[in-house]
Amino acid sequence: MEKKEDIPIMNFIKGDRINLTPLLQKDINLVVRWMNDPDIRTYTRNPLPRTIEEVTKWFEPKKDEMKTDVDFLIYHKNDEKTIGMVGLTDIQWLDRNANIFTVIGEPEYWGKGIGVEAGKMMITYAFEELNLHKVHTSIYSPNERSLKAAAKIGLIQEAILREEIYIDGTHVDNHKFAVFKKDWLNLKKDEEM
Amino acid sequence: MEHEEVRTFISGKNVDLLPGDNLEHVNLYAKWDNDQETRHYARNIFPTPPEDYKKGIEEEKKGTPQEMNFEIYHKGDKKIIGYVGFNHINWSDRNANIGMVIGEPEYRSKDLGTEAAALIIDYGFNELNMFKIGCGMYVLNTASMKVAEKLGMQREIVYKEQAWVDGKYVDEYEYRIFLDEWKEKRKELL
Repeated sequence: MEKKEDIPIMNFIKGDRINLTPLLQKDINLVVRWMNDPDIRTYTRNPLPRTIEEVTKWFEPKKDEMKTDVDFLIYHKNDEKTIGMVGLTDIQWLDRNANIFTVIGEPEYWGKGIGVEAGKMMITYAFEELNLHKVHTSIYSPNERSLKAAAKIGLIQEAILREEIYIDGTHVDNHKFAVFKKDWLNLKKDEEM
Repeated sequence: MEHEEVRTFISGKNVDLLPGDNLEHVNLYAKWDNDQETRHYARNIFPTPPEDYKKGIEEEKKGTPQEMNFEIYHKGDKKIIGYVGFNHINWSDRNANIGMVIGEPEYRSKDLGTEAAALIIDYGFNELNMFKIGCGMYVLNTASMKVAEKLGMQREIVYKEQAWVDGKYVDEYEYRIFLDEWKEKRKELL
C-alpha cells in the first residue's frame, strides 16, 4: 500500500545532470527560502518579502483554463536534491510567445552550467511540445552570470530598455533576449548531424 | 496492496478493473502522467502535480458522468499497473472514447492493455448501452494502434498533421468499433 507521504520523483523532462519535475507541495519551503534570499532575489526581481501562504496559493491547482505559466523544479540527479526552478511565464497563446526564467537556488550549484542545461531543456519543451514561436527573457545589466548563460543557451539580444529597473540604489538597463522556434529546431538538427 | 482492499469492479483473466480516481493513489497517477516516456504517448504536455488529481476527485459532481476511470490491477502481482477509462461519454449519441495508460513499463507489450481495453469495451456495450466506442492516437504510437487492431477496431479517420509532437506536425488516427461488431469479436477476446 502506497503511503501518502511517499511522493515519487516525477521525471517530466530528463536531462544529463538534472531532471525537470512538477511543483510539489513538499518543496514550498525551499522555494520560499530562495525567493527571500538576498543573494538570489536581486536579479529574479523579488524586492518584496514572500510568505509561505502566498507561495502555497501559487502551488495550488488552478482552474482548467489554458495555462499562462508552466513551472518546473530542477532536480539534481546525482545529489538527489531539488536545487532550483525553471519556467515559462506570461504565455501568450495567440501570439505564441512566453518569458523564460531560471533560478538556481542553492549557491553551491552556481557556475556549473546547470542553469544553461535547464534553460535549454525548457526552450526545447516550449518549441517542441508547446509549439511556441518565440521565447524571450529579461536580464538586468550587472547580472553578468545570466548574460553569459543567455549567450551559451543561444539567446540573442533584441533590445536594451534604458534604466528600466531599480536595483540596489540605482536604475539599471533591461536587456531583452529572445530565441525563435525555427532557429532552435535548426540548431538542434545541426547538433544531431 | 492488501487483498481485502482490492475492490474489483470488472474481473478479467490477468487483470481486474477497479474504480479509479482513488484519493490514496494520486501520487501513482501523477508518477505515470508526468513520466517523460509515458506522457509522450499519452500526449500530456503539461506537468500535473498530485494535488491537481486530488482537487479533481474531491470536486462535487452531479448527474451522469461524462467520463469514467478505472485502475488496471494485475491479479498475479497484486499491483496497480495503469488506468483505463472513458472520456467524453456522449449519452444521447451513445458513444465514447477510451483512454489508457500502462504506467509501469515492465507490464507493457504483454497484451495486458488489450485485455483491459476489451473489459472496458464490453462494459461500455453491455452495461452502459453504448452504440459505438472509439479511441485516438497519433501516428507514432504504434503500440496503441496494435491494441486497437487486436480489439477489432477499424481506422475511421485520419487527421492530417493534427498533433505537434517533438517539433513536427504528425497525423492522428481515430479507431472505432460498433456494438454488432463487438458481439462477434468478444467471443474470441473474452
